[in-house]
Amino acid sequence: MASAAPPRLSDLLAGTRALALAGLAKNTGKTETLAAILREHAAAGRLVGVTSIGRDGEEHDVIDARIAKPRVRLQQGGLVATTGALLRSSGVAHERLLQTGVRTPLGEVVLARLSQAGTVEVAGPSAAADLRTVSDAMLELGAEQVLIDGSIDRRAASSPAVADGLVMATGAILGEDIEAVVTATSDAVDLVRLPAASAPAGAGRADATTGAPAGAEDDGRVVVDRRLALNAEPAQIAALLREHPRAGTFVLDGALGERFLEGLLAARSERAGRELRIVAGDPTKVFLSSRGPRWYARQGVSIEVLQTISLKAITVNPVAPQSHRFDSQTLRELIEAAVSDVPILDVLDDSYLALAK
Amino acid sequence: MPEQSSRWPIPDRSVDLSRVKPYADHLGDGIVQMSFTLPVPYGLAARKAAQELAAKMGFEHPEVVHYQELTDGYTYFVMFGEATQTVDYASMSDEGFDVEYMSEDEIEDFAGREIGRPVVVVGAATGTDTHSVGIDAMLNLKGFHGHHGLEGYKAFETHNLGSQVPNSVLVSRAIDLDADAILVSQTVTQQNLHIANLTELVEIVEAEGKRKQLILTCGGPRVSNELAKELGFDAGFSKGTYPYHVASFIVRELAARMDDSGPAHPSASSNGAAPASGAAGTRTDG
Repeated sequence: MASAAPPRLSDLLAGTRALALAGLAKNTGKTETLAAILREHAAAGRLVGVTSIGRDGEEHDVIDARIAKPRVRLQQGGLVATTGALLRSSGVAHERLLQTGVRTPLGEVVLARLSQAGTVEVAGPSAAADLRTVSDAMLELGAEQVLIDGSIDRRAASSPAVADGLVMATGAILGEDIEAVVTATSDAVDLVRLPAASAPAGAGRADATTGAPAGAEDDGRVVVDRRLALNAEPAQIAALLREHPRAGTFVLDGALGERFLEGLLAARSERAGRELRIVAGDPTKVFLSSRGPRWYARQGVSIEVLQTISLKAITVNPVAPQSHRFDSQTLRELIEAAVSDVPILDVLDDSYLALAK
Repeated sequence: MPEQSSRWPIPDRSVDLSRVKPYADHLGDGIVQMSFTLPVPYGLAARKAAQELAAKMGFEHPEVVHYQELTDGYTYFVMFGEATQTVDYASMSDEGFDVEYMSEDEIEDFAGREIGRPVVVVGAATGTDTHSVGIDAMLNLKGFHGHHGLEGYKAFETHNLGSQVPNSVLVSRAIDLDADAILVSQTVTQQNLHIANLTELVEIVEAEGKRKQLILTCGGPRVSNELAKELGFDAGFSKGTYPYHVASFIVRELAARMDDSGPAHPSASSNGAAPASGAAGTRTDG
């Protein structure tokens, strides 16, 4: 498979209005992925908008200054949402279209159209709701697609409330052992592709308006109180299971953390062998770090979401800066074997670069 | 303003602020003093190595002005070198990077006038971090270096949750208290642990639909505004921060947010945007 000509990112993303890019760690090549998408759009003459939930295109890594970062080159006529200071210091001629009123530690975010091509450091809104507003504004101003660059391991930009597609970047930086990289990647994919909540047998409709009072029971579906979910005290979780001895589905309005899941597993007698289904709003509200969703499923606790994320592609960076590297094709094939139904690309590999020629 | 009678000659102020570089003897000489340790034994080869390293860092005319053995196999250097790069200070100072800091009295006045109710701040050292010094210095009455912590202000209602507080517990408290701001401190930065932990806090606040209501600030020896931006915080405070810096930022940002959402609407805890969350009556007493 991997030896056949890879698909182009821009083709995979056709029809996506707002695309989020997320890296599983620093130096997984997310910015190179963004640069590749921008090159392809530019070559096709497509007008796009760019913003970032963090700060991208800076010359050096903010955590490890030894690492020089690729810079983001934007086309003439392209739209960008970044801070006024960064626009100015880019030296790229531009026309300011809108002061967004969104304040960041690096200044207010402004929306601009570039009058010439150039590299601009992009730092957009930090809050998901503001990203959505800014993306919509760029779409209204004529962008065919808005690219939202992620930041470190922030995931809020991938939320279906913000973006309708996601490209995930992974790479050698995740581990010196290639299998560890593959496992970490497939766990992360499982997390962003958490399945849509199925209606429980014989239950009423599950709709997105689960703002019902905590503890409300609807044919085996229980809405968990926010405070209980966040504090995740084992005794309270056990009590919740005791109070609802027949419930199989628990719905959380906000964050679902590992401690809550561990509390469910610990309450063996209260669970009494029940298969549990835990429903969160979307995958960005699920916080797992030590174990993936498959592990919980094997323990009888499956995690589902009301709104899913559409994963369009995974890009790999086979090089860990200042450390080790893997063979690109081997890494892609191993990930492909572990993760189904999503294209795996290395945008700096010759096989991919050849597409542009 | 009266003419300053300084003992020092007033330097030529014709500095080009768009091309600033370090100076030691005269403006524009670019001279930097630096110190570092190399894991090599003391000797002439070590001296040469330090010089070459400084040259690779981009310094011109690197000079070792002092070097000594630290311990077996380690040598400490003090060096001079000329920086060749410049920075555009003008663009940074023009674009609202700087928060205008206010004195304690000014903050009290400002908050009384612009906010008109106590500003609720919840703070903690989160995750596995056991160090509460930073958060205590900012929040507790005693403060430090003669500056009151936020607890000493009439403008603030503070809640210091201490150290090793899980992010989700901190967020839960902040929501219960209808907090305006969260202040987290991260002292331990080995393996960049602070990064994942700080990010998780922001993501939980997003997941709870409270990002627009809560001002998120973080502090620690390795926290900068650039890092704060990457992590999704509204501000980052590093070394040299006093409580009035944090206080100035919080009251200004809160006042600006109250402006954003139209006429000041104190204690509006559930304005439209957020889903009906934590509705009254659903809280279990615990």
